[in-house]
Amino acid sequence: MDPVRQDEFDSEACGSIAPKAKPCPRPKPGEAAGGCSFDGAQITLLPIMDAAHLVHGPIACAGNSWESRGTLSSGPSLSQYGFATDLTDSDIIFGGEKKLKESIDYIAGRFAPPAIFVYSTCVTALTGEDMDAVCKTAAERIGIPVIPVNSPGFVGSKNLGNRLAGDALLQYVIGTGEPEPGTPLGVNLIGEYNIAGEMWDIEKLMNSAGISVTSRITGDARYKEITWAHRAKVNMVVCSRALLGLAREMESRYGIPYFEGSFYGAKETTYSLRQMAYLMNDREMERRVDRLTEREEARLSQDLRPYRKLLKGKRAVLYTGGVKSWSVISALKELGVQVVGVGTNKSTEDDVRRIADRVGDDTEYIPEGGASRILKTVKERKADIMIAGGRNMYVAMKEQIPFIDINQERHKAYAGYEGVLRLAKELTYSLANPVWKLAASPAPWDREGPAYER
Amino acid sequence: MSKDELNIKDNTSLFKEERYVQQRENKKQFEAPCSEQETAEALAYSKSAEYMEKNFNRQNVVINPHKACQPLGSVMAALGFEKTLPFVHGSQGCNAYFRSHLSRHFKEPTPSVSTSMTEDAAVFGGMNNLIDGLENSVALYKPEMVAICTTCMAEVIGDDLNSFIGNARIKGVISEEYPVAYCNTPSFVGSHITGYDAMIKGIISYLYTRSGIESKPGSGAESGEKLNVLLGFEPYTGNFAEMRKILGAFDTQYTLLGDHSGNYDSPATGEYEYYYGGTKLEDVPQAANALGTLSLQKYTLKKTQEYISGTWNQQITALSTPLGIKGTDKLLEAVSELTGLPVPASLSEERGRVVDALMDSHPYLHGKRVALVGDPDLLIGLIGFCLETGMEPVHIICSNGDVDYNEVKFKDEAEALLASSPYGSEAAVHVGKDLWHMRSLLLNDSVDLAIGSSHLKFAAKDAEVPLVRIGFPIFDRHHMHRYPIIGYQGTLNLLSLIVNTILQQLDDNNSGFNFELVR
Repeated sequence: MDPVRQDEFDSEACGSIAPKAKPCPRPKPGEAAGGCSFDGAQITLLPIMDAAHLVHGPIACAGNSWESRGTLSSGPSLSQYGFATDLTDSDIIFGGEKKLKESIDYIAGRFAPPAIFVYSTCVTALTGEDMDAVCKTAAERIGIPVIPVNSPGFVGSKNLGNRLAGDALLQYVIGTGEPEPGTPLGVNLIGEYNIAGEMWDIEKLMNSAGISVTSRITGDARYKEITWAHRAKVNMVVCSRALLGLAREMESRYGIPYFEGSFYGAKETTYSLRQMAYLMNDREMERRVDRLTEREEARLSQDLRPYRKLLKGKRAVLYTGGVKSWSVISALKELGVQVVGVGTNKSTEDDVRRIADRVGDDTEYIPEGGASRILKTVKERKADIMIAGGRNMYVAMKEQIPFIDINQERHKAYAGYEGVLRLAKELTYSLANPVWKLAASPAPWDREGPAYER
Repeated sequence: MSKDELNIKDNTSLFKEERYVQQRENKKQFEAPCSEQETAEALAYSKSAEYMEKNFNRQNVVINPHKACQPLGSVMAALGFEKTLPFVHGSQGCNAYFRSHLSRHFKEPTPSVSTSMTEDAAVFGGMNNLIDGLENSVALYKPEMVAICTTCMAEVIGDDLNSFIGNARIKGVISEEYPVAYCNTPSFVGSHITGYDAMIKGIISYLYTRSGIESKPGSGAESGEKLNVLLGFEPYTGNFAEMRKILGAFDTQYTLLGDHSGNYDSPATGEYEYYYGGTKLEDVPQAANALGTLSLQKYTLKKTQEYISGTWNQQITALSTPLGIKGTDKLLEAVSELTGLPVPASLSEERGRVVDALMDSHPYLHGKRVALVGDPDLLIGLIGFCLETGMEPVHIICSNGDVDYNEVKFKDEAEALLASSPYGSEAAVHVGKDLWHMRSLLLNDSVDLAIGSSHLKFAAKDAEVPLVRIGFPIFDRHHMHRYPIIGYQGTLNLLSLIVNTILQQLDDNNSGFNFELVR
C-alpha cells in the first residue's frame, strides 16, 4: 500500500478537524442505526484505564452501557466503573451543575484518579449546563485535570464522537506533560483500543524490532503517557476513520509525521512496522524490522498451511466499520478466503478506495445497514461465513450462517502475525462446527427416505 | 487436522506468559505512584465501617448503577405484541444501546428503530424526523403496528407525539387506520420497569379505544375467555412457557397481554424474520371482556393495573414474581379464584416433588447468609424463597425500589415480609442505592452468597463471594433466561442453581480433608 500523505485527502477526509464543515453522514430516521456520538467518545477514551469516566446525564447513558467494552487492562480498573450523575426531573428543571461538582469531588476524594473525564449527554447539552466551567473550576480546586468531553448523542454518529474525543485530548491532555529524561521515544499508536489484548501483541512485535511505544491512544493507556504524546517521533493511525484528525493536528502543531496502517493481516503488519522504522529515520531499525518481518512471515506461512487447505476458496461477507472494512480483507486474502460482500457504511472515501484495491470486481458493496440487506448479499453471493459485529451475530445464527465477531465486543485478538493465525483458527472452527450440519438437516420424521443417516 | 495440532493461546492463557507479565510491570511507571502497602491500606479502609458510612452518605454520584432507563423497558414491551416495531423517538445512540443490551441478555436479535434526532431536531423539534422515520421504517420493516416511545431528548424539548403522529397521517405517510401506539418515557424519571409499564398501558389503551368495544367484564366467558395475564418486565422467556403450562393445566382460556417470548426465543429455521409471536392485536380489545386480570409484577405494572381496573372495570389480582413454593401457591390460588376452577391435581403433585427436593437440599441452605440485588417484584419473590428455605437475606439493594403499590411501598412490604420470619431478622433493605453501596456491604459484613445480575460480578469478586446470576441483565452466562424461575418447576431450577453453587464452592475451597464424593 502506498503511504497516504496529508495532501492527498486534505479536503474530503471525514476524520479531519472542523466537523461543522465536512460532517460525517447523518443517520437516517426510521432505521436501526448504530451508536451515537456520546458512545463514540466513550469508546475512544474509556481505554485510558486509570482515569475516572463520569457521565453527566440521566442514568441510562451509563446504566445501559457500563463495562460492556472488551478493552482489556493490564493493571488499573477504574475505567471499568460506571460513574453517573443520574440526573432526575428536578435536575432537568433546576440544573445539575451542583450535582456534577459534588460528583467530581467525591470521585477525586475516594478514588484519587490521575484525571477525570466528564461526558455531556443529550440532556445536559439541551438544558445548557456549563460543563466546561464546572470542570475548569473543579480542576483548580482538586488539583487534577478534569476534562469536559462535549459529545452529546444527538450531534451525530459514533464516528463523530471519536473525533470529538480526539479534540478533547488535543485541547486538554496532549502536551501537558513530559516524559522522564532518558525515556526512549518512538511511536504513538492512535485509534488502537486493546480489544481482547491486541495492543499487547502489537507492542511485543514493536519491541522485538526495537521500536518503543510512546503513548497508547488509547488501548490500555495510562493518563500520564498521553500527556507526553507530543514527544513521539511518529504517529501511527490504526483506525483512520476515528482519529485521523488528531494525527493531522499533531503534525501541524508538533511536526510529528504520521501514517495510516493496520495490523490485520501479515502484509499490513509488515507494512506498518516498516513504515514506523522508515519515518523514525533510523537505518539500523529498518534493518531490524526487515529481519523480524521476514522471520515472522515465514513462520506464519508455515503455521498457516493446514488452515489454508481448509479455507481456500471459502466465501465471506464482511460487515464492519472503519479501518477493518479494508484491512481484514487483506488478512482474509492471505488465508485464501474470498470476500464477496463488504459493508461500506462506516468507511471513509479513502477506506472505500482501499477496499477497491483489495477485492475483485464482483464483490458487492453494502452501503447501508439493516439485517435483511446483509442477509440478501450472503444468500445471493453464496457466502460460507459472515464476519461482522455483535448486533448482527444473532441474526446470522437465525439464518444458520457461520459467523465470527470482529467488532468492539470480540473476545479474540486478531492483530499481528499471531492474530492471523487466530483468525484462521476461528474461521476454521466456525466453518467446521458440526452444528451447521445438524441445523441444516431436518428432524428424522420430516426426512424423505431412510430415517437415519448412518 | 487435530484441533490441538497448533497451539494458539487465547488471551486468558497467553498474557500469563513471562514477557507479558514483565510488560505489565514496566508499565507501572505510568500509573499513579502508589506502593503495595498503600494499596493494601486502601483496600482495608474500603472494608471499614467508617468508609461504608461515607459511602452511604454519598448523594451526588451513582457508581455502578443497577438500573436501565424507561425506553429500554418500552422496547421490550412493544416486542410483546404481534408484528409490532419498537420505534424510539430521540437520538440514535439510545436505540443502539437498547438493541445491544437486550440482545446481549437474550442472545437474540432485537428489531427496533430510531428517529435519529440531531442538532437541528434539538432546535426545531423532532417532528420531521418522526414523520420521515415512520415512512422509512414502515416501508423497510413492514410492521403491522408501530409502538413509539420517547427518550430524554424528545422529552426535554417537549415533542408532542400525539400531534406529530396526527401530522404524519395528514401528510399521508401512514394511513388514517394504521395503528401507532405511543408512550412518554423520559429516562430521567423511573427506570426500565416504569417504561415497560408505560408502553403496555399505551398499547392496550390505544388498541382498546380505537376498537370501539365497550368493556363488559365477564362477557368473554361465553366465548371461553376468562383470564388476562401480565408477566411484566420479564427477562426469562422460560417463565412464559411455565405460565402457559400452568394455565394449560387449569384448562382455562387466557390472553397474555405482552408476550415477548416469541421474539426472544425463536427457532433457528434458516430464515430470519423480524417478528415472532406476540399477543395478537385483535385479542387486546377482547381482553376487556375477561373475568379478571392476573398481574405478576404489581410494582412494575402499576399504571397498567390502574387502567385495567378503572377503564375495563375488571377484578385485578396483583402479585409479585411468583418464586418459591409459597409464591407459587399464591399464584395458583389467584388463578383458581379468578377463574372459579380448582387447582389441578398435576400441579399439586408437582408441588410435592419440589417440596421433596427442597428437603433434600436443606442442610446446605440453612443459615446461609445471602445478598440480593434486583427489581422490586423479583426481590419480593426472592426474599420469600430465601425465607422458606432457611437462607437468611442480609443485604438487599433495590435501585428502583421506591415504587408504591396502593399506598404500600416496596420497602415496607419487603420489611414486613422479612419480619415475618426469624430468618429475616438480620436483613436491611436499601432502596435507591447502587452496586458500589453493595460492595461496601459485602466487604464490611460478609455473606455466603450473592444473588443478582451479571453487573454484580465486580462487587462479588472483590468480596470473594460466589454469585448466582438471577434477574436482568445476564450478559456473561448462556441460556439462563430459557429456564423458568417461576412456578414449582422454576422453584426447582432456582434451588438447583443455588444449592449447586454452594456445593461447588465447598469443593473449590476445601483443603482435601472433606473432598467427599457424596453430598
